Amino acid sequence: MNEHRRQILQMLSEGKINADEAERLIAAVEQPTSSFSSADSGSSATSKPRPKYLRVVVDSEDDGGHEGPTKVNVRVPMQLLRAGVRLAGLIPAPALHRANDAMHAKGVPIDLTQIKPENLEELVEQLNDLTVDVDQKDQYAKVKVRVFCE
Amino acid sequence: MIPFVAVVSLRDEKSRTFRLWIPLFLIWLLLLPLAILLSPFVFIGCLFCRVNPFSGVAVMWQILNALTDTNIEVEHRSAGVSFHIL
Repeated sequence: MNEHRRQILQMLSEGKINADEAERLIAAVEQPTSSFSSADSGSSATSKPRPKYLRVVVDSEDDGGHEGPTKVNVRVPMQLLRAGVRLAGLIPAPALHRANDAMHAKGVPIDLTQIKPENLEELVEQLNDLTVDVDQKDQYAKVKVRVFCE
Repeated sequence: MIPFVAVVSLRDEKSRTFRLWIPLFLIWLLLLPLAILLSPFVFIGCLFCRVNPFSGVAVMWQILNALTDTNIEVEHRSAGVSFHIL
């Protein structure tokens, strides 16, 4: 076990970080090593590993003490996302226009006709760098939502 | 590879866990003759909707394959549910 991993596990045992944070830190520590080893094998050192999963983690802590904490952990394979975009590509244009109109009416400015299988890999590649953190705290509960790829 | 098994775990307030293994491969085996029987209707339906039936079937197959490794967990003090497709 290397020194960084030991430090992270130490922080986890002391309660300074939670299990999810420890997992991300370990992944971050191991990432340069894996890219270095891939550079050794002749591939590009700057290329990131392709994400395999889209993760949504919700932590809700109930400060009022009535409901208790709730944790939601969703892991969706990126292949499913790819297949979903291909499915969207099959939808006939008139149906997409109607869906666009309905979304515009609800204030969602997304043009579904622009989601094409040709742009799929670029979209998935950009998701590699995506992390959405939402923290909400009110008098009753503290909610933390994280969306990321791994 | 298409998913073969789905595992549903349920936990109650007393931490008793009930785990259910659903053999999806049996469901696929049962659905296969039905899919073959319904394929002409699906073909006509796709043409009616102006969708390439072969692309449609290919995408459905990809979605089925991509379901493998999907994992959903919800944990609460009083209960917990997890759903994992293998």
